[in-house]
Amino acid sequence: MSTAETTLPAVAAAEVRQRPRLSPLERGERRLGILLLAPAFILLAAVVLYPIVQLIITSFQFNQLTQPWMGTPFVGFENYARAFSDTRFWEATWHTFLYILVTVPGAVIVGLGLALLANQPFRIKWPVRLGLLLPWALPLVFSGLIFRWFFEYSQGLVNNTLIALGFAAKPWLTDPTYAFVAICIAIIWKTSSFVALVLLAGLQTIPRSLYEAAEIDGASKWQQFWEITLPMLRPAIVVALIFRTITSIQTFDIPYAMTNGGPGNSTETLAMYIHQTTIDFLDLGYGSALAVLMFIVSVIATAGYLRYTRRDPGQKAH
Amino acid sequence: MMALPKPKKMVWLAALIVAVNGFFPALWILFTSFKTESELMRIPITIWPAAPTYENYVRVFTDQPILTFLFNSFMVALLSTLLCITVSACAAYALVRLRIPAPNLVLSVLLAIAMFPLISLMVPLFQTMRALSLLNTWPALILPYAVLSMPVCTLVLISFFQDIPRDLENAAMIDGCTRLGALWKIVIPLTAPGVFTAGILAFVNAWDEFLLALTLSPRVSSRTLPVGITLYQGEFSFPWPIISAALIVAIVPISILIAVFQDRVVGGLTQGGVKG
Repeated sequence: MSTAETTLPAVAAAEVRQRPRLSPLERGERRLGILLLAPAFILLAAVVLYPIVQLIITSFQFNQLTQPWMGTPFVGFENYARAFSDTRFWEATWHTFLYILVTVPGAVIVGLGLALLANQPFRIKWPVRLGLLLPWALPLVFSGLIFRWFFEYSQGLVNNTLIALGFAAKPWLTDPTYAFVAICIAIIWKTSSFVALVLLAGLQTIPRSLYEAAEIDGASKWQQFWEITLPMLRPAIVVALIFRTITSIQTFDIPYAMTNGGPGNSTETLAMYIHQTTIDFLDLGYGSALAVLMFIVSVIATAGYLRYTRRDPGQKAH
Repeated sequence: MMALPKPKKMVWLAALIVAVNGFFPALWILFTSFKTESELMRIPITIWPAAPTYENYVRVFTDQPILTFLFNSFMVALLSTLLCITVSACAAYALVRLRIPAPNLVLSVLLAIAMFPLISLMVPLFQTMRALSLLNTWPALILPYAVLSMPVCTLVLISFFQDIPRDLENAAMIDGCTRLGALWKIVIPLTAPGVFTAGILAFVNAWDEFLLALTLSPRVSSRTLPVGITLYQGEFSFPWPIISAALIVAIVPISILIAVFQDRVVGGLTQGGVKG
């Protein structure tokens, strides 16, 4: 604000000794700035901060909507203690962990493949670009429904293709292991396209001259990939990995649509267990304790993510 | 890589793989939606509908209130997008132009709060909305959806606001415009593409959301499309031809939206994704 500084420096310095650098005009701007930030923080307070407080309080209560006559007495860490001895909680946590372990690297590898394929000099760009955008724009739960239809035992495309190729039909969706595989395939298909879009943007920033120089030095395509593409793409890959991890902690829609956690509870995720505890069993106290435990894991992942991305633009700047 | 001449056929193959991977599931659903129930029972299965029928589409609109689902989805997505854009634009402008103390810290705090996992918010939001008798109403979804898209919208808008030269606003203010006047008359029109990009992202996010819609708006007459279609139950089994037709009805509007604005969507996504 050069105009403000040149017109009113002396007055401001004399009047406001503790903030000598701010002129009245600048203080007005600061006030306006805080005013403009207010709606965002009021919305966040109402939709996030207040609910967090309520979540933590409820997690220390006995609070079952099926037993309203019991009231909501304070029970200390009882709900948390219950979680630690609840095998279904540990199983759901283990399943969630397995989904993260398989689908996050899976989506990044498939996404990298798609990005490399899409990074070609196509004359007509829209089929490729839309081919990456469509899976992203599709609701997760619809992807789940479509893949459930693919993996349907007798009329599904997958088993019929297997039979046509001379293999036996597999019990997708009714056997715990096959159901896990089917769900992972659906998740990877759905999430890899967003990863591909992010990596494709990264690929397009790699200077072409690097490849030209490598070509002159006689580097093979394979060497160029390992020595140029991958190192240059590393920041984008790390961002994609962390971003995918944070969202996969909350995996819900696709298993819900494909198996609803079955057979038994063998494909149930933590998010699905929390949802069932709260909405179907109406046990708000226990559901809240589970949500707090999940939140702690998410915070650790998000903190890592923010720390990385805040450092990253600075590195890229020069 | 672009500099190296590639055999044309390989390039086409690459394009084909990416396109088929993206389009095939939706195409398969499209084929299914034109098949009769009896054709679906046939083994081996058919690829093209043997006798295409529109009956599934008729039944989608007669058996289930899909128009209600569409209307709910559209209004919730639209209103939450408007709210999100307004709030994000104000915050982004304050962070870029006005002398907020520690703008980077404020932005980090804002992003960290807004990225709180939905599944953990689900329990207290259910409690609160129930206490306020807001379950099964649009506001119950509009407010959380506005927060859901706040990080990406704020980041996209910040990068667009940064590209507007300060001198333009200063000139307007010298001519007697107020700060807010300059924001409204100079900055917003110049960054219309950014506002629009952020709006599309927010709209798609809201259109796609399932968990909160399932939790906070479960009554049939207030369901959004994802919930309405997923909880669609046939009399005997899951009616795949009708489900497929319903999915096509739900997918087409959003596909047209992203097809028309694909450049902006890709730009906004990679900006928001890489930075945020």
